[in-house]
Amino acid sequence: MNKLFDLGFVIGLFFLVIGLLLLGYGLTVSRQPVNYGCGMLFIVFALFMIGLSRRKRG
Amino acid sequence: MKLEWIDYLIIAIYFLFVIGIGVLLKRKIKTSIDFLMSHRNIPLWITSLAFISANLGAQEVLGMAANGAKYGLYTTHFYWLGAALAMIFLGIYMMPFYYGSKARSVPEYLRLRFDEKTRTFNALTFAAMTVFSSGVSLYALAMLMQTILGWDFDLSIWMAAGVVLAYTFLGGLTSAVYNEVLQFFLIVLGMAPLVFIGLDKAGGWEGIVRHVEDAKLHVWKGLDHPANNPMGVDAFSMVFGLGFVLAFGYWCTDFLVVQRAMISRNLNEAQRTPIIAAIPKIMMPVVVILPGLVILALQQQYDGFALPAAADGSPNYNMVLPVLLQKLYPNGILGVGITALIASFMSGMAGNVTAFNTVWTFDIYQAHIRKHAPEKHYLYVGKATTIVGILASIATAYVAKGFNSIMDLLQLVFSFVNAPLFATFFLGMFWKRTTGHGAFWGLLAGTLAAAFTHGVTTAEGKGGWIADWHTFYSGTSQAFTIAWIAFMVCLLVTVLVSLCTKPQPEDALRGLVYSLTPKVKDPARRWYKNPLWIGLAVLAVTIFLNLFFF
Repeated sequence: MNKLFDLGFVIGLFFLVIGLLLLGYGLTVSRQPVNYGCGMLFIVFALFMIGLSRRKRG
Repeated sequence: MKLEWIDYLIIAIYFLFVIGIGVLLKRKIKTSIDFLMSHRNIPLWITSLAFISANLGAQEVLGMAANGAKYGLYTTHFYWLGAALAMIFLGIYMMPFYYGSKARSVPEYLRLRFDEKTRTFNALTFAAMTVFSSGVSLYALAMLMQTILGWDFDLSIWMAAGVVLAYTFLGGLTSAVYNEVLQFFLIVLGMAPLVFIGLDKAGGWEGIVRHVEDAKLHVWKGLDHPANNPMGVDAFSMVFGLGFVLAFGYWCTDFLVVQRAMISRNLNEAQRTPIIAAIPKIMMPVVVILPGLVILALQQQYDGFALPAAADGSPNYNMVLPVLLQKLYPNGILGVGITALIASFMSGMAGNVTAFNTVWTFDIYQAHIRKHAPEKHYLYVGKATTIVGILASIATAYVAKGFNSIMDLLQLVFSFVNAPLFATFFLGMFWKRTTGHGAFWGLLAGTLAAAFTHGVTTAEGKGGWIADWHTFYSGTSQAFTIAWIAFMVCLLVTVLVSLCTKPQPEDALRGLVYSLTPKVKDPARRWYKNPLWIGLAVLAVTIFLNLFFF
């Protein structure tokens, strides 16, 4: 089997999309701190995973 | 509970990603070994998280929250007693034989060590159990979606099964394993805020201590007698039944989880996989058991946290997580919580289906139906088996809908088969005199002993279908007792029959039995790459947790 794709990047991308959605929805529509709080948490986690993935590749 | 567009969008994005992972992996799959064994090419962090995630199915996430409310901190025994030690043992002592023997599955190890009939017995029971477990996951998912979201039962079943089929068919085991890692993070990050918010509302840990009965806030204190703890279990059944027989029987011999370690890149990583997985495993009670205690504390302080009644009028503890999601999560993060629940169901189902297609293709089809076919043929069989496995799971889910008692019975048979299996492996790996006949008859006798014990004892109105010789305080206590009796019977019969039958030549057992396998020493290996040192560190933390919550 050939070299597989980087799963860390895909997981990071998933949480980045969900995090941005929650942040945007929390700040503009629901105005619930739990939404934008979790959105920010997910974005931080996503950037961590993407950063790890980039570092490994570099 | 009413979902809004944002929640549906999050669920849709999740489905898109899991299927996308399957699509990306499709072009990497060339052979049956790629499809069914990931070509033994998966990095350690992925195998470790997949190892724990394969076990993090729906029954785990919903069931442990329910047990947290019903039994309190005694539920942590499923982690701190009934998991960590067995996972360390698997890594240090058993994985060298599974991985080193080059067996492609647990049943295949049984053929190498014993004979074809022992392998076939294990392969057939395992294949049936995986399809059944997968069907139960599907049924439970559809029931939950119908109850809390008002979704159509049929739509839920076909939608979840369709998504799992898409990504397992496209990317095989690798796709299932990759998705299990994504599902692990989703479950932890989707449920952790719920625990945090609930704990904060309940007044922190002090609020739990103040509002939850003391009997539910200890791990060992009430185990001197079944009447003194909410689980209704005594210390012997807990330690020997759960901590030894059931824990080692599941974590060390169930191909569903062992498969995740067997696809590692080398033996050292295969050994470290279950031990590294034990680290998040001993932390999981924070996410899956604590919600049960949180809801008990909230019920004492606020209205609206009561659990709906079950059919017998008692609180339906399985609704702990849905009630907390409904009360504490607004739309948006609610979508993440629901997606996490769906992920746990799909993770359990995909794990079962991928283990099923490996065992079916290698241990049943190749062993008994077509032995020497071209490589491509087994790839097609593996893919076709994936479809058949999913369809059989759907059928099982519908059977479960119509006949709940049949599902109870099948669950029971599952425990009958798993409990004695560890005795077979234990003797096979550590006593070279064990023979194939001994293993086979021991396994059969242990399974029958489990069924007989269930037939002559009762608990919570179940069992006693032959006679009623003894009544247990709880079904849990009955299950633990059945497990250790089945183990002992299997052990004794295996020893007796082995001593009466011809031993296998030692040359045939090299690499399969502890005393006949040279020990590999690598003095240059760093401590964090040494399974023994990591295992000891995990064990120390586990002992500390047991003492802290004594």
